[in-house]
Amino acid sequence: MELKPMEQFTVEPLVSAPLFHIAGHPIYFTNQALLMLIVVALSSLFLIVAVKPGRLVPTRGQSMAEISYEFVADMIHSAAGEAGLKFFPLVFSIFIFVLFSNYLGMVPWSFTVTGQIAVTFAMAAFVILLVIVTGFMRHGVGFLKLFVPDAPWPLLILLVPIEIISFFTRPVSLSVRLFANMLAGHTMLAVFGGFVVALGAAGGLLTGLAIAPMLLIFAVMLLELLIAFLQAYVFAILTCIYLSDAIHLHDQH
Amino acid sequence: MVRAPSKRREGRIVGFFGPRETVLTAPDPDRLTELGKRLDELQTRRAAGQKPASPGQLGIAFRFATEMVAALIVGGGLGWGIDWLFGHFGFRTRPAFLILFFVLGAAAGIRNVVRAAAELNARMAQAQSQGRSNEEK
Repeated sequence: MELKPMEQFTVEPLVSAPLFHIAGHPIYFTNQALLMLIVVALSSLFLIVAVKPGRLVPTRGQSMAEISYEFVADMIHSAAGEAGLKFFPLVFSIFIFVLFSNYLGMVPWSFTVTGQIAVTFAMAAFVILLVIVTGFMRHGVGFLKLFVPDAPWPLLILLVPIEIISFFTRPVSLSVRLFANMLAGHTMLAVFGGFVVALGAAGGLLTGLAIAPMLLIFAVMLLELLIAFLQAYVFAILTCIYLSDAIHLHDQH
Repeated sequence: MVRAPSKRREGRIVGFFGPRETVLTAPDPDRLTELGKRLDELQTRRAAGQKPASPGQLGIAFRFATEMVAALIVGGGLGWGIDWLFGHFGFRTRPAFLILFFVLGAAAGIRNVVRAAAELNARMAQAQSQGRSNEEK
């Protein structure tokens, strides 16, 4: 049997006819699009149904929704202060979307949306564009002070380009971190899964040894469950920190 | 989070999103104050045990690595783009800006890593001082 650990990340059209064309490029309805729709539908459904009763003493579902609300609100408050709460809807949506995609990606035969750099980079690029727009709206040209550190002017010739590159590094590192974590974890699971199959088919004593990679899969699976949450948290809190830069400029240093 | 114990005794099935209709009864003041006391106690205990979420060693290493690599990619990409733009207008600067911006990218990467490390230091110092003040109590 040939082992294809990367096969799980192939994006393929589910309907052979393209949905529509953009500038001559056919746009298909892919497995990725389907999973994104499921993520959005599930998360909206969960929050709507859970909050529907609107009780003073919350039910289990309602308190789950409330806890996630308070968790994100606290996160924004601590990272970006009072003014950051204006961006609550965005940060909450990003957090819930990444969290649900990460966890749905753990379901066998499903597809990890956040394991695609196109998806994570689109989100990160949106965040950084929002930071730029917010910065210019709040501070005008003064926002450019973000790129000018405290230093004698001859050094600024060198430091300003470095600061600019450092700023544009943010969306790249933000998206690469999420994408690489998901990609690495799921590839690892698939590779160990391949070991189990190969050892199981080997016969004799080797068949018994197949239990070893099986246990390893179990451990990695637990780790992945943790990472799925941690990465959603990291993505959301870095969004807050970058927004805080746009709101307060150099205040926090 | 607080489930009325009477519901259990009546043998009603409490679904995931709770029963459809709510039975409202007059609150018993004694039980309410007791509940308040228990909640306060829980809250102080939780606040004491709470630490800011910290990524593991692997997470920290991964963060620094991505910061560095991303800066190199962005720096090199910018240089390449500027070279391409100049080439478009007939100036042959081809490797010059690529090299310059790659080096600047490396500098930016180190700057990012230092910044991330400083952030981490501050957070750990904060966590430590918090732990100490908790012990003093």
